[in-house]
Amino acid sequence: MIGFVGLSHLGIISSIAAASKGFQVIAYDANAALCEQLSRRELPVLEPDLPELLEKSQAQIVFTSDVTKLGQCNLVYISVDVPTDANNQSNLTVLHQLVAAIAPHLAPETVLVILSQVPPGFTRTLAAQLQETQGDRRLQIYYQVETLIFGRAVERALYPERYIVGCPNPAQPLPQPLHELLSTFGCPLLPMRYESAELAKISINMCLVASVSVANTLAEICESIGAEWSEIVPALKLDKRIGAYSYLSPGLGISGGNLERDLITVKNLAHEWGTDARVVDAWIANSRYRRDWVLRTLHSEVMSQVQNPRIAVWGLAYKPNTHSTKNSPSLALLEALTAFSVQAYDPQVVLNDRPARLTQSETALAACQGSDVLVVMTPWAEFSAIDLSQVKATLKGATIIDPFAALDAQKCREAGFSYFRLGSTPER
Amino acid sequence: MIHHHHPSPVNPDRVVVLGGSGFVGRYLLSHLKTLEIPVVSFTSGELDLCQPESVENLKQTLQPTDSLVVISALTPDRGRDIRTLMRNLSMIEHTCAALTEGACAQVVYISSDAVYADEANPVKETSCCDPSGFHGVMHLARERMLLQTTKAAKIPLLILRPSLLYGPGDTHNGYGPNRFLRTAEKDRKITLFGNGEEKRDHIYIEDVAQIIGLGLLHGSEGVLNVATGTAVSFFEAAQTIVDLWKGQAEVQIECLPRSNPITHRHFDITETYKAFPTFQYQSIASGLQKTFALIEKGNG
Repeated sequence: MIGFVGLSHLGIISSIAAASKGFQVIAYDANAALCEQLSRRELPVLEPDLPELLEKSQAQIVFTSDVTKLGQCNLVYISVDVPTDANNQSNLTVLHQLVAAIAPHLAPETVLVILSQVPPGFTRTLAAQLQETQGDRRLQIYYQVETLIFGRAVERALYPERYIVGCPNPAQPLPQPLHELLSTFGCPLLPMRYESAELAKISINMCLVASVSVANTLAEICESIGAEWSEIVPALKLDKRIGAYSYLSPGLGISGGNLERDLITVKNLAHEWGTDARVVDAWIANSRYRRDWVLRTLHSEVMSQVQNPRIAVWGLAYKPNTHSTKNSPSLALLEALTAFSVQAYDPQVVLNDRPARLTQSETALAACQGSDVLVVMTPWAEFSAIDLSQVKATLKGATIIDPFAALDAQKCREAGFSYFRLGSTPER
Repeated sequence: MIHHHHPSPVNPDRVVVLGGSGFVGRYLLSHLKTLEIPVVSFTSGELDLCQPESVENLKQTLQPTDSLVVISALTPDRGRDIRTLMRNLSMIEHTCAALTEGACAQVVYISSDAVYADEANPVKETSCCDPSGFHGVMHLARERMLLQTTKAAKIPLLILRPSLLYGPGDTHNGYGPNRFLRTAEKDRKITLFGNGEEKRDHIYIEDVAQIIGLGLLHGSEGVLNVATGTAVSFFEAAQTIVDLWKGQAEVQIECLPRSNPITHRHFDITETYKAFPTFQYQSIASGLQKTFALIEKGNG
């Protein structure tokens, strides 16, 4: 029996994925209402294929707020997402409280795995604390790297590239229940010491940030010199040193919260140990700069031409297939547009606190009604299916700012729009 | 980088201007007049900030509801030496001595983009301040003096860092649009170093006055660059002026051998978009056109 403790995004996905492999799962959260909701198969997170996976696995999983049920498990994951504050600093208090609350209910020799996002040093310290308070129970403490991606969480959970496991002694075999679960997924297992595993997670994210920063830096040069970043990307991806899956799409800075948290963790570590992490400052600065690309384009192409323009914004989530708006470039843009009339639309996100001049439309086309410009801030798939002739008929102006190229550039040109996207020469 | 104490604009009760007779000062006074804001302006003859007596005079002038705009400075054409630097610092030392708690409601200091490191590019308000000349050192030191003083006195401080200014009535003759306009009129010739490749962000003087005005109306606090966000080469600026003279006179562009490497300076003005979303800078073409029109009328 496998237990999952903390049913935020990570816990929900991970517990259902384990159940889908045929394991009996106890999914625990102190929030009884949430557990009842999940028992009714009402998912509080938006992920492709998750409802189907839950339906398929429902016989294997029990959602409960009864902490004593964890005593039946020989393998328990702490799977709560660690919250971050406005400065992307982790708040680990939640994690400490959760472990302290459930530890007394675990059976002796339970394998306790930290799946939550923790900084290097956390697991060893926690293991020492548990040894002190729960020594007689001989809990076995492990750390496992999560690499969940919002919007692709099910795919990542079912088909992981590898498992990175932080161990008290990497030379020893993994405990049987943990090995049995992870082996089911048919990918390499990489046991290593706690600190290496904790830093491996951060290292992965730093590589992603580096790639995105390269893409953003060079895409901006493309916009000025007549080059086309989308033509360059395939050349890079065919280079084995860079790779077919590398993060080379330009974007509006780093968002979502996870990468930002790890950037801050590296800065904190470098500050504490006196190592050189100035490149991280450069990545953060570049991210903030690129986040405002749309605002700069709006001012140079619209505000300079039209007094008091009305702006249509498609997309509020930080990326498609999620309802998360953590550090969303769209919300950052809206904050800078409070002086203007804005009509926004998102397939999933509903804004509760709206500035006075912001209205949220029921449909994408309704947001365009009478607007001087259309801005596509989240490349939801439904946007690319919208008939541009209808957009043309509805929009008052003839400018589309589409940073992620959600729409077809050629069709936008043919429809008579001035069209602006990242990494491409402006088409006026 | 800045925040507004008045999210909706409110006219200050009165604005006290130190340095009202200079290039920026004259345009500011004119702009404040159109806004119908009462103004008290001092020239260096009326209030010599280099003298310790100025402290008491300024104290007696300032009212708690006043906004104080500090433009006074000995510009580089008055000296680039240590003595000029120290006199400039002395002026702010005396200004700071008058800024006790409750002395006024806001201080606006007109600094310069010379405070930034030469290699900062694109320049934004968070760029590294590492001035290479005494002019930049002077402004940075003055900013810090005012920052410490106003913080202790609980007075909001707005620091504005303009890029290169141009426009009718500029008394300075530095390399750039103003000099180009003058030599085009006088000698029918514009002289460039190299091919004038260096890109700079030139700001029209009326825009500077308007940004100061917005900072006063909003009771703004913090640091903001004053630049258009569009850098053009000296050659492009010269060519625009040549085009303006077309039909009246033929102006030649002369290129001299370059003695210094090519450097560029661009600005990221996102913070201005956020601070004053409805404000729009004039393009250099528009600003030069206006300046040229006044030259034609004999007012340039």
